[in-house]
Amino acid sequence: MEQLLFFLMAGGMVAATLATIFARNPVYSAIFMILSFAATAGLFVMLDAYLIAVVEVLVYAGAIMVLFLFVIMLINLRSDELEGLKVNPLMVIAAGTFLGLMSKAVSDLGPAVQSRANDLEGTPALVAETLFTEYAVPFEAVSLLLLAAILGTVVLARRSQDA
Amino acid sequence: MIGLEHYLYLSGVVFTLGLCGVMMRRNVILVLMGVEIMLNAANLALVAFNKFMLPGADGTVAPDGQVFVFFTIAVAAAEVAVALVIAVALFRRLDTVNVDDVANLRW
Repeated sequence: MEQLLFFLMAGGMVAATLATIFARNPVYSAIFMILSFAATAGLFVMLDAYLIAVVEVLVYAGAIMVLFLFVIMLINLRSDELEGLKVNPLMVIAAGTFLGLMSKAVSDLGPAVQSRANDLEGTPALVAETLFTEYAVPFEAVSLLLLAAILGTVVLARRSQDA
Repeated sequence: MIGLEHYLYLSGVVFTLGLCGVMMRRNVILVLMGVEIMLNAANLALVAFNKFMLPGADGTVAPDGQVFVFFTIAVAAAEVAVALVIAVALFRRLDTVNVDDVANLRW
């Protein structure tokens, strides 16, 4: 049952990601990417990271993808500007090398991890306790980062006078 | 039984797909989507490592990996907002979103 669920989610995630990359129309890409994020949220639930699964759906599949779709509609590409992949042999070599190194790293995993899952459950209470005690300073830094992003967005989006 | 390796291989494959998206697509919005896919794959690896970590001295496991993912998602949201507004500014100024046409800084 667990295996079936995992391979269903993993297959869905890989297929949706492939469709995102290959779709000619950016709107289809965005919609397939939402599917990919939904599959990721399912995998997070399988890893008992409940809070992260909810945040993934709300922030990634919700807020970020709405932003993407909004900008795609704002830019409104003409249909002759849609294009697919532009593949260059160097890119294939780079991606293949990365995948090979990654597989090598995974097959040589060290002793800090175990083969059996621990009983960690990412409930909101547990994650919040760690977030607001041990990671309180980084948390405040993230709020400053978001403020800086908002200011930067407003400055960039304003129509400049000299343009 | 699904182990850590399964999640890490999946994360590696999805990260590579995101990398291919960044390298092979010419539309700046699709390039950004590739970056998001790569960040998402890294998040999956972080949560998986957290779930298969050895317990500490007191026998419990801290949810550090999940807190990292929380931060990654916040940073990704900030990054996307700024990058998309740059794409909009680019389109307003140069009337294109093709990364090959934006080569003003290339030597």
